[in-house]
Amino acid sequence: MNAPNQMFGSWSHILGSLTLAVLLEQLPWAGWALALRPDFVLVGVLFWTLHQPARIGFATAFFLGLLADFQDGALFGQHAIAYVIGVYLVLFLRLRLLQFDPFRQAAQLFPILLTVQLAVLLMGWLAVNPPAGLVILLPVFGSTVLWYLVAGFLRLWHGKGLQDRT
Amino acid sequence: MAVPGQLTFTRRLGPTARLLIWLLIGLGCAVLDSRYHMLDGLRSGISLLLQPVRETLRAPSEVAAELGGFFTRHRLLQKERDTLQAERAQLLVSVNAAKELRRENAELRALLQMKTRPGQQVVHAAQMYQGHDWFAQRITLDQGGRAGLRSGLPVVDATGLVGQVTRVYPGSSEVTLVSSREQLTPVFIERTGQRGLAAGSGQSQLELRYMPAQTDIRPGDRLLTSGIDRVYPAGIPVARVSRVSRSQSGPYLRVECLPLAGLDRSRAVLVLIAEPQVIPQ
Repeated sequence: MNAPNQMFGSWSHILGSLTLAVLLEQLPWAGWALALRPDFVLVGVLFWTLHQPARIGFATAFFLGLLADFQDGALFGQHAIAYVIGVYLVLFLRLRLLQFDPFRQAAQLFPILLTVQLAVLLMGWLAVNPPAGLVILLPVFGSTVLWYLVAGFLRLWHGKGLQDRT
Repeated sequence: MAVPGQLTFTRRLGPTARLLIWLLIGLGCAVLDSRYHMLDGLRSGISLLLQPVRETLRAPSEVAAELGGFFTRHRLLQKERDTLQAERAQLLVSVNAAKELRRENAELRALLQMKTRPGQQVVHAAQMYQGHDWFAQRITLDQGGRAGLRSGLPVVDATGLVGQVTRVYPGSSEVTLVSSREQLTPVFIERTGQRGLAAGSGQSQLELRYMPAQTDIRPGDRLLTSGIDRVYPAGIPVARVSRVSRSQSGPYLRVECLPLAGLDRSRAVLVLIAEPQVIPQ
């Protein structure tokens, strides 16, 4: 199981994609794009937790979460805790998730991403203010679509079809 | 090393234990940050690291704007110039009136032996990044402590009050918008002069709180800062009343307002720097 994965999950791939995710979040997003913007860093971390759990896990998620907290000017620890919960859920469901094709995988990821967002919501609610409406749940859809695109792209890249052949 | 296919037992902690450890650390961070404000140094550090990255990533959109401007129609430019000239003529007239008023005001103040108002110093700043926090609406400016900014200063644009500087880093600063939840602005109604308290309601709206049911207020009224808080100078436009309704339960009116400043549109803003006045006892 190690041989085909060695090229795919090398450190340069992991660091490159995570850096790209952080950079994408630094772009000056505004308006609807900002409201719908997928959480690039979260999707990156969960993706590598799924495929390379020995390399990317709780610690990376936590520190990237702190970075996300800084970016939003939010309370420190708000996203960090949420990301860690996301990593735990992915590790818990890992063997199950790996069996699905991209579309079903994204569908399975949806509740996980939703849980992460609800954790952010809960932390902010307890520590700062009640939130302003349900707009907070919009990025979950963005992130799910991003997951589908990434997972689908990688399968095509490796020469497999998008759908599972039975 | 483990042989592939062989079962190995590791001495690492299980996922649940590690989750709990990281959750405790995260809660610790949150408590340190919210109760004791001990992580502000970390914020400044990250902001110094990320500053050049953000500056660079702003470039593509600026280049696009430049290119777009290059292909603006000649007709459009002429039209814009005509409106600007008309506007300038109008402004010149009001500047003359203002000069006259200022002279008169100075004389009257001298006569009444009142303190003169302090002059305003302004710092130009550009919006660098829009935060994505759901609990407060914030923007990041490209000016910070090095330009003399400090926490609490008012930020305006050409049309009205944008917000208040809430965190200052060396090269950038965070501004909490007036429409942010729980951001309070003391205002008065321009038409009647009645004072009130405008609070952000999130979702880029404000509401005027604690207005008794018989208050004279109607949609279209402008709200200006009253200046009694000694944070905002008096007379900055804040919002326009959009809807007034009588609530069934409470004794107060429900007054919804829309902010006048282009909170999510304006790229360039001004930070007003003035020493807070101390009332002599």
